[in-house]
Amino acid sequence: MAEEPVLHSRRTLTLRFNIPIGKTHEFWDALKQGRFVTTKCSTCGNVCFPPQADCPKCMGDKLEWVELGRDATLVTYTYVQITPASFADSDPYIIAIGELSNGIKVLAWLEGVQPDKARPGMKLRVDTRTSKEGSPYYVFVPV
Amino acid sequence: MSRVAIVGIGHSKFGKRTDVNVAELAFESIKQAVSDAGVDKKDIKNVVVGSAGGWYEESLPAVIVNEYAGLNSVGTMRVEAACASGSAAVKAAYNSIVSGEGDVAMAVGVEKMTEVDTLTSVELIGRAGSYMWEFENYGMTFPAYYALYAVAHMNKFGTTEEDMSRVAVKAHHYGAMNPMAQFQKEITLEKALNSQVVSWPLKLYDACPLTDGSAAVVLASEDVARKLTDSPVWIKGVGYSSDSANLSKRSDYVGLEATVEAAKRAYLSAKIRPDQVDVATCHDCFTIAELMAYEDLGFCKKGDGAKLIREGQTEVGGRIPVNLDGGLKAKGHPIGATGVSMMVEVTKQLRQEAGSHQASIKNGIGLVHNVGGTGHYAYVTVLSRN
Ligand SMILES: [Zn+2]
Ligand SMILES: [Zn+2]
Repeated sequence: MAEEPVLHSRRTLTLRFNIPIGKTHEFWDALKQGRFVTTKCSTCGNVCFPPQADCPKCMGDKLEWVELGRDATLVTYTYVQITPASFADSDPYIIAIGELSNGIKVLAWLEGVQPDKARPGMKLRVDTRTSKEGSPYYVFVPV
Repeated sequence: MSRVAIVGIGHSKFGKRTDVNVAELAFESIKQAVSDAGVDKKDIKNVVVGSAGGWYEESLPAVIVNEYAGLNSVGTMRVEAACASGSAAVKAAYNSIVSGEGDVAMAVGVEKMTEVDTLTSVELIGRAGSYMWEFENYGMTFPAYYALYAVAHMNKFGTTEEDMSRVAVKAHHYGAMNPMAQFQKEITLEKALNSQVVSWPLKLYDACPLTDGSAAVVLASEDVARKLTDSPVWIKGVGYSSDSANLSKRSDYVGLEATVEAAKRAYLSAKIRPDQVDVATCHDCFTIAELMAYEDLGFCKKGDGAKLIREGQTEVGGRIPVNLDGGLKAKGHPIGATGVSMMVEVTKQLRQEAGSHQASIKNGIGLVHNVGGTGHYAYVTVLSRN
């Protein structure tokens, strides 16, 4: 069968979002200094991760910043081999969900482990990183 | 409260449809559904279009689709519940009849996913979680989301990669009988097991493809349905729920809480038990998703999903046949069309029109399970002959 005629549209669209982070910029500032923090509601005591300016439990907006702790246990993971278009220059990566000792779960890359050596239950630690564009982010590493 | 029935169904060929644009694709299903219902199209007062959008050039698909089909001055909107957009569209059309707005409504599901390149598609779907915390820094993909569930399920219940491949083999077996399916070829367990790893432990044959497709159903109030057809299929109960976008906020990774909750509500509103269901379509965007659905819908105990597929209980002749149209895996998964396509399949089954892949219908009850995202949304719809 012959190729169907298709109009290759000449109008391309590049989307890049400017995402406001003003209400929780302390998280990223702390990360830059190597600290891993989150928000705690001053009214009801609820601790959130990711940090939130407004409490989803009591809807209050008075919050304080607290240290999260770094120790985690691997809950589940995957080794991503087909990566999205905007990660085309990344090597394949492991994405993991780890549970901190206070019960809060965090999703991040797991670095420093061969994919076939990762196991649910293994002990991890949260570590901080800076992207080549200069943005801070966090990863898990094995203890 | 007025009862509502499905009185007309339409379904396009699923696959890479470079021969049609989005409106032409939707029209294929609309035309069939209107003709199958035997209604005059000017009696359709409300058309709800399920489409996630973003993959194709039209930004406002509802009006584009209606304009092409000559559905003038209808009440309309596009609804989005990710991969459950189709079920959400049916629910919205159903509501319009129940509330007395009109006697006839139509739900159309349509998606055109192959007009952009594959990795851009991976990107568009990967961004559909909690963008800031899962995509920006970590490049989540949809296979990765379900792979996190697969690893947890394997770890807790001993489910294996082979069990997941069995789901793919079943899907392709039935897909081969469905002329509307994207893939109409049987596969072997070895082929599935040895296919390219996408996001370990999920491989190419664990994942549904990128698909263009449409489906439509015409719904009518009881009075009108009785006039139009001798074989109405009633919408007996609908349950829906949602869960966090951010996966780290889920309590565990061995099932979808949104499905459990939606199923509970659907069974309650339809006044049935899961063991009364004769035939079901389950949201198998990935093979692990089908195994978890067996458990979350109550077709077996939590953790026994793999046992059900090993024993062949979800095939024709088994305890609860699932996805006899090939499922998302082999039939294809045009996001917004999927839920409506499931309604079409279960309607056919309940009308005993499914031919080579007909399930035996004892209680006259079918179930449609449609998940949006990784259990971000879940819809369970119970259909019945009675
Ligand atoms: Zn609070
Ligand atoms: Zn899906």
